[in-house]
Amino acid sequence: MRDTEEHSGAAPTVARVRSVTKHYGSGDATVHALRGIDLAVRRGEFVAIMGPSGSGKSTLMHLLAGLDSPSSGEVWLGDREIGALDDTALTLLRRERIGFVFQAFNLVPTLDVIANVMLPFELRGTRPSREERAFIGRLLTELGLADRLGHRPRELSGGQQQRVAIARALASRPELVVADEPTGNLDSRTGREVLSILAGAAAAHGQAIAMVTHDPVAASHADRIVFLADGRVVAEEERMAAESIARFMLSLDTGR
Amino acid sequence: MSARLRGHGPGVLVAALSSAFGVALIQGTGVLDAALRANALTGGSTTVGVLLQITSVVFIAIAVYAGAVVTTNTFSVIVAGRVKSIALRRLLGSTARAERRAVAREGLAVGLIGGLVGLIGGSVAVAGIAAAAAALGVLGPAPYDYAAPQALLPACAVVLTTWIAAVIGSRRVLSVTPMQALGGAEERSEEESRAGRLRSACAAVLVGLGIVLLVAGVALGAVTFSGLLVAFTGGVVSFTGIVLGAHLVIPRALRIAGRLMGGSATTRLAAENAVRYPQRSTRSTIGLLVAVTLITTFGVATRTFGDMVEAAAGNDPAYYAGIETMLTTVTAVFSVLIGFSAVIAGVGLVNSLSLGVLQRTRELGLLRALGFSTRSLRRMILAESGQLVLTAVALGLVLGTVYGWAGAHSLVAAARGMPGLWFLGVPWPLLGVVVAGGVLLTVVASVAPARRATRVAPVEALGVE
Ligand SMILES: Nc1ncnc2c1ncn2[C@@H]1O[C@H](COP(=O)(O)OP(=O)(O)OP(=O)(O)O)[C@@H](O)[C@H]1O
Ligand SMILES: [Mg+2]
Repeated sequence: MRDTEEHSGAAPTVARVRSVTKHYGSGDATVHALRGIDLAVRRGEFVAIMGPSGSGKSTLMHLLAGLDSPSSGEVWLGDREIGALDDTALTLLRRERIGFVFQAFNLVPTLDVIANVMLPFELRGTRPSREERAFIGRLLTELGLADRLGHRPRELSGGQQQRVAIARALASRPELVVADEPTGNLDSRTGREVLSILAGAAAAHGQAIAMVTHDPVAASHADRIVFLADGRVVAEEERMAAESIARFMLSLDTGR
Repeated sequence: MSARLRGHGPGVLVAALSSAFGVALIQGTGVLDAALRANALTGGSTTVGVLLQITSVVFIAIAVYAGAVVTTNTFSVIVAGRVKSIALRRLLGSTARAERRAVAREGLAVGLIGGLVGLIGGSVAVAGIAAAAAALGVLGPAPYDYAAPQALLPACAVVLTTWIAAVIGSRRVLSVTPMQALGGAEERSEEESRAGRLRSACAAVLVGLGIVLLVAGVALGAVTFSGLLVAFTGGVVSFTGIVLGAHLVIPRALRIAGRLMGGSATTRLAAENAVRYPQRSTRSTIGLLVAVTLITTFGVATRTFGDMVEAAAGNDPAYYAGIETMLTTVTAVFSVLIGFSAVIAGVGLVNSLSLGVLQRTRELGLLRALGFSTRSLRRMILAESGQLVLTAVALGLVLGTVYGWAGAHSLVAAARGMPGLWFLGVPWPLLGVVVAGGVLLTVVASVAPARRATRVAPVEALGVE
């Protein structure tokens, strides 16, 4: 299904950055996190972002999700350039179009599982339709959370918490799910389970995913892998096998 | 040391306020006393002075109590924010007792600084007012020595209670384990003390006993004039019970208040937050509750008393007019003096809201990332503040009305021509001021925390520090 979309070549982009740079500080102390990056994420596409620590992956994710603004260049979410938006407009845009899974601390501690999952609807001030509710019910069952709905985050294991975050990110079917090392805190088996659920659910509903990961196996599920080093895109590959990803990463590390 | 004193600004402020209030009252009554003695008419009599001093001790005690409760909260919040670094030092070999002693020392320092500032500030304020009054000719020349030793008493009381408050507030240090330095564990709800059982039992007994005495006092009041003494004891005993058992009463009341605020995501989150740390919320509201209860009690009692006398006096309005002015004046003075404790409680409220915001920076960032606008954020903090104030004010109004009613009836119901038990005089203007004060406090208390909250960037929820 994903393939047919890609081959048609007509899938619109849901997010795009154009020659963006991002630096922190000034003078001698300036840190150049991004040094000119072009990247587009198309509808329904699963993009993995890889690279050594400090290469700018998180910074890129923040820009792509409209959480931060670039030092120069353009960031487009759908057909809108976010540089022109004020905070409220940007907030609304995020609310409507983007789902998040962070590395940790994804959930509001005072809300139970179902309230956390429903939060995007609450924030929009809309009630989920019957069809959406059925979808969320299936999603929660699929993620093994059906009997946990009344629990608070602190009563869940790390893996369960991440699954709740995934359910929330997918619940309102945003066009783009941004994930920054969503499985960084989990053991590799749980992590891969969580990832395959994320990728499967997104594929089933045509949602795009942009995900940072250090795990070659996780990245091997992606349609496209973007390698960053020192704030630049050093390589961009279509689907790769885990071994070749690992080899490539190693060469990046030693090449520094 | 100076680095460790950071974050103690509110503690010092509260200590200084309580101390200044106490010192000013002592010095003020001293000046008044001296002026009265110097006056040819009243000269020589010490009764008035002694009476003044006794009354001021009661007000000082209430202010110092309100201050101590606020300080306890401030310290427990500070300790909660320091758990990571305390755990790290524990990991490196520091003992729990040493850590707690360090916090207690900070409490002593806060108390000393605040007490001293208050001592000087209170004395200077009174001296200034006395000089102005003398210049205007309101007050005769008062040969009064501002170095009076009794002025030290409230300052010392503040130092002592601040220290004790720090010790109580830092109880949590003992439960910090070295392990907490390691895990990136999510923040957990403050561990509620388990020693609360005995306390709850005591509270229940006191409330029960107090109610019995109140009823007895009112019943006695119908036949003799000594009912007030019984009812007063009942009031003191039952209110002590309520303050002691506040950890049971207030969280429940907060929940109800939260439900009243509405069902949107914003208000629901606010409601959850207000009961997130029941102990903290209880301490942030109790001072306000005490102040509102006392003001209402006094207002309702004097109003009911006045109205009953008026009803009984019937066709002798001239006689009544004298009482009316006296009652209004006394109520006003009393309310202002208690109102000071409400201000101290208000400082505590602002502080605990601000620190609450500081401690959930990531959570706020998360909400921002998910699409919470700055406006909803501001509304959320306002709702939280409103919930705390509403709870304290509503509870205080109800309690105060009951107490005031009981007090008036136990005192004068026995007199001839008095209206029946149903009679209740409501001091609407005073209650209006209390409610308006509550609304004002809600808004003012939420300004600084809301500003801080809206400055949180959505990015701050991402990644781990
Ligand atoms: N707020 C900030 N202030 C200053 N420098 C920053 C800030 N955020 C990031 N940087 C710097 O920008 C660079 C890129 O950081 P970024 O977090 O994007 O890296 P990353 O690829 O996500 O690394 P990791 O794999 O370790 O998460 C780093 O050198 C980092 O030190
Ligand atoms: Mg990163």
